[in-house]
Amino acid sequence: MSSAFTGTVHQLRLVLRRDRVRLPLWVVGLGGLIALSALAVPPIYDTPEKVAGYARTVGASPVSYLMSGRQVAIDTLGGIVANEISQVAQLGVCLMVMFLVVRHTRAEEESGRAEMLRSTVLGRHAATLAALLHAVAAVVLIGLLTTVSMLAAGLDGLGSATYGVGLALLGLCYAAVSLVAAQLSASARGALGIAGAAVAAGYLVRGVGAMQDSVLVWASPFGWAQRMDAFGDEQGWPALLLLALTALLLGLAGWLTAHRDFGGGLLQARPGPTRAVHRLGTPVGLVLRLQRGLMLGWAVGLAALGLLYGALVPTIPDLVASNPDIAGFIGASPDAEQALVDAFLRYVFVLMAVISTGFAVGSVLRLVADEEAGRAEVVLATAVSRWAWLGATVLVSAAGALLIASLMGLGLAAGYGLGTGEWDQVVAQVAGQLSYLPAVLVVAGLAVAVCGLVPRWSGLAWAGVAFVLVQVVLGEVLRLPGWIDALSPFWHLPALPVEGFAPWPALVQLALAAALVLLGLWGYRRRDVVTS
Amino acid sequence: MAVIELRDIVKTFGHVRALDGLDLAVEQGEVHGFLGPNGAGKSTAIRVLLGLLASDSGTARMLGGDPWRDAADLHRRLAYVPGDVALWPNLTGGEVIDVLGRMRGGLDERLRAEMLERFELDPRKRARTYSKGNRQKVALVAALSSRAELYLLDEPTSGLDPLMEVEFQRAVQELKGRGATVLLSSHILAEAEALSDRISIIRGGRVVQSGTLAELRHLTRTTVVAETAASPDRLGEVEGVHDPRVVDGRVSFDVDSDHLDGVVRALADLGVLSLTAHPPTLEELFLRQYGDASTS
Repeated sequence: MSSAFTGTVHQLRLVLRRDRVRLPLWVVGLGGLIALSALAVPPIYDTPEKVAGYARTVGASPVSYLMSGRQVAIDTLGGIVANEISQVAQLGVCLMVMFLVVRHTRAEEESGRAEMLRSTVLGRHAATLAALLHAVAAVVLIGLLTTVSMLAAGLDGLGSATYGVGLALLGLCYAAVSLVAAQLSASARGALGIAGAAVAAGYLVRGVGAMQDSVLVWASPFGWAQRMDAFGDEQGWPALLLLALTALLLGLAGWLTAHRDFGGGLLQARPGPTRAVHRLGTPVGLVLRLQRGLMLGWAVGLAALGLLYGALVPTIPDLVASNPDIAGFIGASPDAEQALVDAFLRYVFVLMAVISTGFAVGSVLRLVADEEAGRAEVVLATAVSRWAWLGATVLVSAAGALLIASLMGLGLAAGYGLGTGEWDQVVAQVAGQLSYLPAVLVVAGLAVAVCGLVPRWSGLAWAGVAFVLVQVVLGEVLRLPGWIDALSPFWHLPALPVEGFAPWPALVQLALAAALVLLGLWGYRRRDVVTS
Repeated sequence: MAVIELRDIVKTFGHVRALDGLDLAVEQGEVHGFLGPNGAGKSTAIRVLLGLLASDSGTARMLGGDPWRDAADLHRRLAYVPGDVALWPNLTGGEVIDVLGRMRGGLDERLRAEMLERFELDPRKRARTYSKGNRQKVALVAALSSRAELYLLDEPTSGLDPLMEVEFQRAVQELKGRGATVLLSSHILAEAEALSDRISIIRGGRVVQSGTLAELRHLTRTTVVAETAASPDRLGEVEGVHDPRVVDGRVSFDVDSDHLDGVVRALADLGVLSLTAHPPTLEELFLRQYGDASTS
């Protein structure tokens, strides 16, 4: 007896076989992050005063509402844990199912592999159902891990279970969203885009609703999961909303599957331009176009991060007053209010600058990625010299780093202005962020040198990013020896705004970055182009 | 005048000698077939000519310049089609053609439109959605839209359907007609046979045979199949005859080209009932080159 679901078991086995590493990585990675965060909270909030302090500060902060929603029972340890992990857990579980589902549905169809399978005894809906079951397994595991780690943190049993169930149902709901997205778009990228937009929309609607304390939270699956009110007066009926939406979406996905051609989607890829605009015909123009998406993504993400940190500034004195441990983390003594704010700003400047080295290095490494893919070859077979091609990449990466630093500073200043109503700090804050740019360029210069000298080992450039990140984020905690700290260019720059600006370290670092670029250029002009 | 002149080029990748004393000469205005199986060093040789790879030793001249030192300047005068075409996934085919054309120093608008039509390529599609054959067409149209002096084509028809292959052969004839030089690497013998003035056969990183088709054939043997009244058993003793075999009363054997005369006389003495003789196809020539190497 054949049905539209025939062969689902075989399909599921294939899915599990293909993801025998990926699924455990997701579960251990995301589940581990949730567990670590859940277990880290109780020791920090070990007195009733600290718990009350959290409720008074974070629990009343609009920024926290935007990021994590309004958590009930925020004046209990359970509420604090739920509030602290919700961002990572909720977004993480949604992204996990989104990637898993699209990978086993639309991506397979697009690659042509699914066609081979569909020619066997395999029902029309088997791939959809197998992907759904795969996602169910993943969210159940994440939900269980979350509940177990909450119990291990000594939290209430019913609350822990309710939170885990809500999280798993939220993931299930977005698995159904992803299945619909996979039917709509004819490309995996398009499907990820649609599902990702749905995740972002749900998250933001809940956040804005929580900030306004309005019914808007009920327009988002994120809101429904949260309003199961774990650790408060738990209620089960919002779970029914999640299940109902899931069922509706699954029905829609099934209907769409039955009403479209194999390989087709409802949204057709639009034809692109027939001719290249004029500036595309130059190396800088081409590199700029190729890196446009990368740059835009980083710029928007980091400007938003700046905005959030800026908005947090006014809450810093209260936060530190309620929990002096935080002052140690950002390296300040909890007495003078301005000193605290300055220390926080310095921490944010450095942190964001260090994160932006990820863009700079990623951008530089496109050079080798293009070579390995065989795309550099066609460019270098034209009248474009090696010098011009590497130069164009360096120029775009450096200009991108400058742009991103400016936008991070502006974002921070905007958040600060919105939070405090003071707008006289804009120039100082943008300048403060820019003062760390030379160190970013040194790390990028190192990447250029690696690309020029040892392209096969270009991954080494990421070690530079990892090192400066660890030095800044964990340097205080790990108590690294001074000479290791001194390896990071960020360590040598004046700590604006705590210290005043000094031009020499910046100039020396700019010269160092230039020297590294020249070294890379020297190697790049002498070596073979990487070929497959 | 030689447009391409490679002498004793050596290129190693680690322990692998990809080019092992390669000699290659391509004259102005000729279509030069560059034949060899995969891995023989065809692409490596072309990349040395493009200045993408630096040779370990030997001398290389192209269009009167040094392919490594003068790379960018020389590239204004040539067009290249890689064997495995990789494109930027988010650019359209039309954009890629324009980008490469402009970076080469400009393309001929009339040719661009004509080639797009002849190769039936939709320039509005993103490169990520092109099939292998269509990616190949993008690179071909980009190269053929320029008025270059020299065309370096590395297995340019891989992935093209037979109709497009005919179109490609026409295009190469046109290039030749206006005096351009073409280096055409291939492992499709019929293609090289149809287009090439001269041919170089590369094996294990060296050119083992080079010349016009007629010259290459002269060096080799003619295949004869005959039916005779008398027994052909003693034919093997005639000078120049190789591997005589009798199957169903017919004898077949190979003859060194310079002994053809004596062999025909010997056959006539036996009383010829039927006779076919054909010069070696490139296929046979090719197999012989490789066959000999593998047995010796």
